[in-house]
Amino acid sequence: MTDDKDVLRDVWFGRIPTCFTLYQDEITEREAEPYYLLLPRVSYLTLVTDKVKKHFQKVMRQEDISEIWFEYEGTPLKWHYPIGLLFDLLASSSALPWNITVHFKSFPEKDLLHCPSKDAIEAHFMSCMKEADALKHKSQVINEMQKKDHKQLWMGLQNDRFDQFWAINRKLMEYPAEENGFRYIPFRIYQTTTERPFIQKLFRPVAADGQLHTLGDLLKEVCPSAIDPEDGEKKNQVMIHGIEPMLETPLQWLSEHLSYPDNFLHISIIPQPTD
Amino acid sequence: MEEDEFIGEKTFQRYCAEFIKHSQQIGDSWEWRPSKDCSDGYMCKIHFQIKNGSVMSHLGASTHGQTCLPMEEAFELPLDDCEVIETAAASEVIKYEYHVLYSCSYQVPVLYFRASFLDGRPLTLKDIWEGVHECYKMRLLQGPWDTITQQEHPILGQPFFVLHPCKTNEFMTPVLKNSQKINKNVNYITSWLSIVGPVVGLNLPLSYAKATSQDERNVP
Repeated sequence: MTDDKDVLRDVWFGRIPTCFTLYQDEITEREAEPYYLLLPRVSYLTLVTDKVKKHFQKVMRQEDISEIWFEYEGTPLKWHYPIGLLFDLLASSSALPWNITVHFKSFPEKDLLHCPSKDAIEAHFMSCMKEADALKHKSQVINEMQKKDHKQLWMGLQNDRFDQFWAINRKLMEYPAEENGFRYIPFRIYQTTTERPFIQKLFRPVAADGQLHTLGDLLKEVCPSAIDPEDGEKKNQVMIHGIEPMLETPLQWLSEHLSYPDNFLHISIIPQPTD
Repeated sequence: MEEDEFIGEKTFQRYCAEFIKHSQQIGDSWEWRPSKDCSDGYMCKIHFQIKNGSVMSHLGASTHGQTCLPMEEAFELPLDDCEVIETAAASEVIKYEYHVLYSCSYQVPVLYFRASFLDGRPLTLKDIWEGVHECYKMRLLQGPWDTITQQEHPILGQPFFVLHPCKTNEFMTPVLKNSQKINKNVNYITSWLSIVGPVVGLNLPLSYAKATSQDERNVP
C-alpha cells in the first residue's frame, strides 16, 4: 500500500466527546452524575464503557441492574457497529458532546444483540475481519495467519494500540502488484431511511479497462439515490469517519486508509443538514 | 488444493426455488421471502418444537397424539401428575424460525435462525448452545464463539443466531466433487442444509434427496 501512514493514525485516534446520562426512570439510591468520556471512533461501545457502567452502578442496587444498553434520542445504539459509524449515522449533525442515555432495564430484544462478555465483541470483530478478507483475498491471508496474529489484532484494538494492530493488519491491506487492488472491496452503506440495515454487494476496485473505480462509481452503481443530481441542490452527505471524501477518490485507496479496524469501509448516507 | 465450489446469487436462488417446490409438494412449509428494496430475498420456515420432545410439523397445530406421553408412560403415572407434565410441556413449546440467506462475501448460503417461547420470550445464546445436538457439542465446546453467535440479520436488521459460514466452502467442495465424479445431480441447498440443519434441530426429510435425483431423470 502507498505510504499515507499519517492518515491511518488520524483515523485510529479519532475521538468523540460524549456525555453519558443515566435514564431518568432507573432506580437509584442517590443522584447519578453524568459521566464524560472521549470515545474512540474505531472501537465498540461495550468495549470501552466499563468505567461508565461502574460509575452508574455505584448509585444503584444490585437487583435493579440488568444488561447495560445505550440509547441516543430514542434509538437503541447497536454496540456491534463501530462507534464512529453510529455517530456519523445518527448524530453527526448534533452539537457536542454526544449525549448518550444509559439503561439497565428493559433490554430491547428486537433491536440489539446481547453482549454477555468481551468474548462476544471479539467474536464479532474477528468475524468481520474474516469476511473482509474473504472479499479481498478469498480468505487466504487471514487463514494463513496464526492464532497469535489474530489475537494481536484483537488485543491491539482492545488496548487502543495502533502499532500493535497495524503490525499485523498491514498484511491484510496488501495485494499482488499485477492486480492493482483487492478482488472485491469490503464495504457497507448505511442509511436510517431504509428497513434494511445496510447495503452490501460485490464491487471491484478496478474496472475491466484498468481504470480505478471511485467512491462515486460505487454509489452510482450500488446506491444511486445517494448521488445528488448535478444541477440540483445537495440532498445527501456521504460520510466515512466524519469526513465527506471527494467522490473522485479511488475506492482502493479508501479501503486501505479509511477502513475501520474490522477492515470494512462503513459508509453513512445522511440527509444534508438544513441550517 | 481443490478448486473451490462457490455459487453465485442467481444459482442460489434457482436452488432455493427447486427446494421450495419440493417443500410445497410434501407440505414442509418452506417459502421464499423477497426483500422489499432489492432483488434478493431469503428462504424461510417456521416450526414448533417441544423442548426435548417431538417436532410439531404444522404451524400452531396441536395434534393430540403428538403432545401426549407415550401410552406405557402415561399408564404408569397418576392422572394429576400426567396433567401437570402436559401443562409443563405446553409452556416449553418453542417456535423456531429458520432463514436461509445468500452471503455475497463467502458466496455460499448462510443459516440464520431465532427461537422463542410461546409467550414471546426469546431464547438466549446459552439456551441455543445447550440445545445443540449431542453429536455436535464437542465441536461447539472447542470454539463456541466461532460456531453459533447472535448477529444482525442483513435484510431485516433484527438479532438472529447464525451458523458461521466461513467453513461452508471447505466442507461442501468434496461433496460437490464427489457428485460430479459419479455424474449425480445435486441441489447445493439440499446437501448443505442436510449437513448444517441438524446442528440446530432442523432435519430434512429424505424425499428432498430423491426429488433431486428425479429431477435429473427428467432432463432430456
